[in-house]
Amino acid sequence: MSNSNNLRDSDIQKKIDHEIRMRDGACKLLAACSQRDQALEAAKSLQTCSTRIMAYMSELQRMKEAQVMQKVTRRSSDAGPMDDRHPCKGKVAISDLRIPLMWKDTEYFKNKGELHRCAVFCLLQLGGEIFDTDMVIVDRTLTDICFDNTIVFNDARPGFELRVELYSCCSEDDYSAGSTPRKLASKLSSSLGRTSGKKLRAAMEPGACSPVSNGGASPLLLPVPSVPGPKYHLLAHTTLSLLHVQDSFRTHDFTISGNEECSYWLPLYGSVCCRLAAQPHCMNQQMMSGCLKVKQLVGDAQSWTRVHAILKGTSLFCYHRQEDVEASIEPALTIAINKETRIRASEKDCHSKGQRICISNQYGGEEVTHTLTTEGREETHRWMEAFWQHFYDMSQWKQCCDDLMKIEMPSPRKQAPVTPKQGSLYHEMVIETSDDFSSTVSDILARRMQELELRSQLGTSPTWMSLFEENNPKGAGRPRPCTSRLSGHSPHTPHRPPRSPASPHRCPQLGLLSSDASLTSDSDSHCSTSPCSLHHGWAEPPSSFSLLSSSPSRLRPRTLSLDAKLSTLRGRGYGGGGGGGGGGAFQCSCQPPPSSLLTPVSSRSPRSPHSTQTTLSCSSSTSSNSSSNSEGSHSPESSEGAPFSRPSPARRSLRNLRARLDPRNWLQSQV
Amino acid sequence: MFGEYLLYQVYSFFLAKIMSNSTFIPGQPVTAVVQRIEICKLRHGDNLILGFSIGGGIDQDPGQNPFSKDKTDKGIYVTRITPGGPAEVAGLMMGDKIMQVNGWDMTVVTHDKARKRLTKKNEDVVRLLVTRKSLEEAVKHSMRAPNNQ
Repeated sequence: MSNSNNLRDSDIQKKIDHEIRMRDGACKLLAACSQRDQALEAAKSLQTCSTRIMAYMSELQRMKEAQVMQKVTRRSSDAGPMDDRHPCKGKVAISDLRIPLMWKDTEYFKNKGELHRCAVFCLLQLGGEIFDTDMVIVDRTLTDICFDNTIVFNDARPGFELRVELYSCCSEDDYSAGSTPRKLASKLSSSLGRTSGKKLRAAMEPGACSPVSNGGASPLLLPVPSVPGPKYHLLAHTTLSLLHVQDSFRTHDFTISGNEECSYWLPLYGSVCCRLAAQPHCMNQQMMSGCLKVKQLVGDAQSWTRVHAILKGTSLFCYHRQEDVEASIEPALTIAINKETRIRASEKDCHSKGQRICISNQYGGEEVTHTLTTEGREETHRWMEAFWQHFYDMSQWKQCCDDLMKIEMPSPRKQAPVTPKQGSLYHEMVIETSDDFSSTVSDILARRMQELELRSQLGTSPTWMSLFEENNPKGAGRPRPCTSRLSGHSPHTPHRPPRSPASPHRCPQLGLLSSDASLTSDSDSHCSTSPCSLHHGWAEPPSSFSLLSSSPSRLRPRTLSLDAKLSTLRGRGYGGGGGGGGGGAFQCSCQPPPSSLLTPVSSRSPRSPHSTQTTLSCSSSTSSNSSSNSEGSHSPESSEGAPFSRPSPARRSLRNLRARLDPRNWLQSQV
Repeated sequence: MFGEYLLYQVYSFFLAKIMSNSTFIPGQPVTAVVQRIEICKLRHGDNLILGFSIGGGIDQDPGQNPFSKDKTDKGIYVTRITPGGPAEVAGLMMGDKIMQVNGWDMTVVTHDKARKRLTKKNEDVVRLLVTRKSLEEAVKHSMRAPNNQ
């Protein structure tokens, strides 16, 4: 006894040592890696190793305690044979884990803001075995967390307890914000830079990187290494047992720990779905085999047929010869052995050497009895013992013995096909690297234009897209034919010069805007265009694309007024000089839906014959609206303030578009 | 100075046409002091030009109208007059609110509709009904002291 104990001890000790080595390796990896996914994976391994170590150590301790207890009991009482029957062990498999999430609808459809992501994985523990699933990154585009792994535990007792734990870790930059409230963490991460964040992280590191306690295990003091990096926290747990075992998909309750304030929080629905199957050994292994004689009634005469019988699963298979078993030939006779079966050993028969065993089953309404004899008393005893054990196993394993549950052994790991994430349009615009901002933006613009062109439902959306084509020197879309008769536009205003160096480049753009679908114009100008409102100094980030993507369906072109025409004709005819003070700045339009998008180009007397640009301002600087009343023109420069470094054409067009789409403008038209 | 003179001239000339003081009493028709202005469009080539700019409309943000007294007023206002243009000659002034164009109402129209009503190709002349604050005040002033001119 003590020998086997010692053997088991050393086994566990070896396992512990192995896990400690693994954990050290994971720590080193965690300290060394720079990529977030690597860090998450390493942290996951760390968590698993730590949990395993805890489990082994607690088992070791239990064994030692048991040994001590045994010694004590042995002294006090006779060491009788262990009389109690032990049920057979079995395999337990859990697969198709699915944890539904319950995002608030506002969260799910939120089109802006940071995407709160968590890295999650499951730890499954049964007996002394601990397995982890693959790690899955979860954000609000997922409705369920799915783990594809099948985890099989061998040597499980019928009274097993399979503990399922869901660990999650916030997958954002600031790793030290594990316990800080999410809002604060996001504020911190957005306000601190990378380097300062790292410093903060190091400063805030609590020190111990200890895993969450492993339900029930005694707290063992271990020198736990403290490693900076992502830390997983227990988010939910549940314990499954034999009564949860079923051959199909079932839903179980999940106990959630943690609350909304935690950074690792995920809105779990509160249940976990999985397929928990069990294969007791009595169902798929030969419990007993030997020679038996079966009584057969041929007419009136009784005859005894010698068979090779195998007790397995829910039947006693009787083969003519032992070789038939390997040859997979159908058994000559199959006697059902299940919960309903009654087996009796009768008195010694004078006709045969051994005792009779009668197996009775109910087939339909009839009771069918098979009579078998064995070769000797010991055989009979062994068979009866086998039958009793079998019945006991079946009573212990309950529903698992009704039918053999299929367990798919996990195949060697293969890459699951990566499904493209269905993000919102806006998310596709998020710029990950900040290497070359301007070119990235123009690339994105180009791609976006192409996509939107394909996606546009009205023919009108190309209106402003053609604007982009002009603005974007890379020329994303197809060139649009210009049917506009506009040529020139109002000139610089006196307020503009500091920023005008870039403006001449925009000259060709204005006149070339056209749209195919034009409103019926009883007005003189039949060309429907939306000249852009080129606006300097628009500091909006590319989040203007949220407007972009949402508005195309609502745009319809407007017939252009004579503004531009007037500028060329009238400027000369009506004398020069800006009348009355204000600059030739006019407001662009940014119509709220469903009105159309048009920015008329108004003009004053031109400064140069070229009429290079339209200076239009979006009075999104609402603060200055009521104040600026210089002849109906809202000078943009003075209200905009904030000089900007010359933006790239792509960015300028972004701003212009945004300015145009801004619903807070007041349109003016020249008649 | 010239404007002022014009104003008074307009006032005296169109006294008969002045309807009443402008008030807004809920449930009662809104009345306003208006002036008729007749603008002959200037033809330049293929285009007919009036020589002013309008702003406003029911689809516009009225809070940004610098001319309106009531910042919820979504009417059409004259925002600029081209100097020497037909509008200026006819007496249109900046800040005027256009109530009617050739009989068509302009108080509840979209911006584009307003523009279209002014720029019809088959019309050479537009007759506007406009109102302005100064006009109203002038009426009040004159009524108080008709001899102080």
